[in-house]
Amino acid sequence: MLDLLQRTLEGLLEAGPYALIGLGLTISFGVLRRINLAFGATALLAAYVGSWLHVRWGVPALGVWVAVIVITVMVGFYVEWMCFDIADDSVMAMRRQSSVALGLDAREASVLAVSFALWMQIEQVAVNFQPNHLHPFPDLSSKLNFDWGGIDLRPDRILVFLLTSGLIAGLSIWLKHSQLGLGIRALSSSQAAAQVCGLNVLRLRYIGTAVSCVLCGLASCAVLSMDGQVTPMFGMWVLLKGLTCALLGGLGSVRGVLGGAVLLGITEAHAQSLWGPIGRDAATWGLLLLALVVQTRPLKHPFFMQRRFE
Amino acid sequence: MLEIEEIACSYGKIEALRKVSLKANPNAVTCLLGPNGAGKTTLMMSLAGILKPTHGSIKFEGQNLIGLTPSQIVQRGLALVPENRLVFPALTVRENLMAGAYLRKDKPGIANDIEQQLHRFPRLRERINQLAGTLSGGEQQMLAVGRALMSRPRLLMMDEPSVGLAPKVVAEIFGIIQKLHHEGTTIFLVEQNVHMATKVTQHFYLLQQGRVTFSGTPDQLAGDDLVKRAYLAGQSATA
Repeated sequence: MLDLLQRTLEGLLEAGPYALIGLGLTISFGVLRRINLAFGATALLAAYVGSWLHVRWGVPALGVWVAVIVITVMVGFYVEWMCFDIADDSVMAMRRQSSVALGLDAREASVLAVSFALWMQIEQVAVNFQPNHLHPFPDLSSKLNFDWGGIDLRPDRILVFLLTSGLIAGLSIWLKHSQLGLGIRALSSSQAAAQVCGLNVLRLRYIGTAVSCVLCGLASCAVLSMDGQVTPMFGMWVLLKGLTCALLGGLGSVRGVLGGAVLLGITEAHAQSLWGPIGRDAATWGLLLLALVVQTRPLKHPFFMQRRFE
Repeated sequence: MLEIEEIACSYGKIEALRKVSLKANPNAVTCLLGPNGAGKTTLMMSLAGILKPTHGSIKFEGQNLIGLTPSQIVQRGLALVPENRLVFPALTVRENLMAGAYLRKDKPGIANDIEQQLHRFPRLRERINQLAGTLSGGEQQMLAVGRALMSRPRLLMMDEPSVGLAPKVVAEIFGIIQKLHHEGTTIFLVEQNVHMATKVTQHFYLLQQGRVTFSGTPDQLAGDDLVKRAYLAGQSATA
């Protein structure tokens, strides 16, 4: 019983960074109406630059975190520009005022293909930039465990969980109560209506992209600082975790993503305990497939799905 | 107040509007009639800044609107109630109204105007925290009108507000249009329901295949053979 509780709590602590990545993807989907497949590759390239700054120039942890977040935003905007501005000609048409937002979904397939190509391109750039397999990242992990009556929990994981929880709470409040938050939620709800109401759709898309990238960069730093290293698999890891949480949450609900992240974290922790690392990976893929097959929404309970971005 | 001169608009090689000219006078209801595919919605989208005409000019209170973004056009004092309402389905009624005032900065004024819209549309007050996507068609239409009024427009443009609504709700919507007109709001209305439109309109235009083919008062409209054949004959039984 104690072991069950131990695994559940470990899974819960994992859920914090998962939720941040999932929220990043969800906001990106909300404002762009497209899944950004290059999301993980963006995080990988930024992490590699962070590692390089740390190893080559001795940049301290805080500087590396700032650099990773800035690079994630920069690469994120490159993807946004290449993939969602150039490939999606309806956006160009919106700029030229020759198309209404109602027609924006016409180029989904080409946007998805470009997004996939950018994933490959950015990952290749990262691997060429840092050809080795393992790259050190500023290690902030704790070597001590807290013992809470037989339950061992690492303080660094607790700290990351608290940090991410605070961020998510702040983000929810911002989305719910600020003018920009209202704009992003409105755009996510109906792009055509947003255009009609005079909302600056393109500006809101850029803000959404920036927020999404900052969340991704923060989550990357939190996870990598606990591991103390980056591998080429990190990009895939980010995309897989983010996509699973976002799809489980129904792509559009903060509560849904939180629920998805908790489900993913706890399922992975128990699978790891029962079947080892392969079982953990299998559980992740299984949840992703479940989300896709059941047309997602195992969490489509009114509590989770009540409103977009709440 | 609104002067449209010879505007043309096309989707690729397809010409939707061919040198359309018309006017909307202040404190009046001007109605644009036309069958499906005549170019009515294209004209509304051009007025709202979503589409850019390839030719001609649109002047509002003397200022040219061509090339302005939808945000700038809302700031100039025009608001559109789009066809099929286009409310924000995942936002509450209150949030939809707030989105209508997105470009305004005066918080007390916004709160006051929300209260005013809820007074105007009591049914929206009952559903203030309900998601707009769960409202009935008529309630969504009221919300779309309320949302447009939240930007304090000097010209309210309404694109087929009666479409898809039950006759009782249509009568209610036209009652609201009449009330807005009596309050001094200038309205540019696009409609297919001629009988209801004649009750509130001071000047009619008829748009067919991208061209204006009629311009006149409700009396002139009633006496026009072409309009009679196209509209009034089929609708007199249902009026």
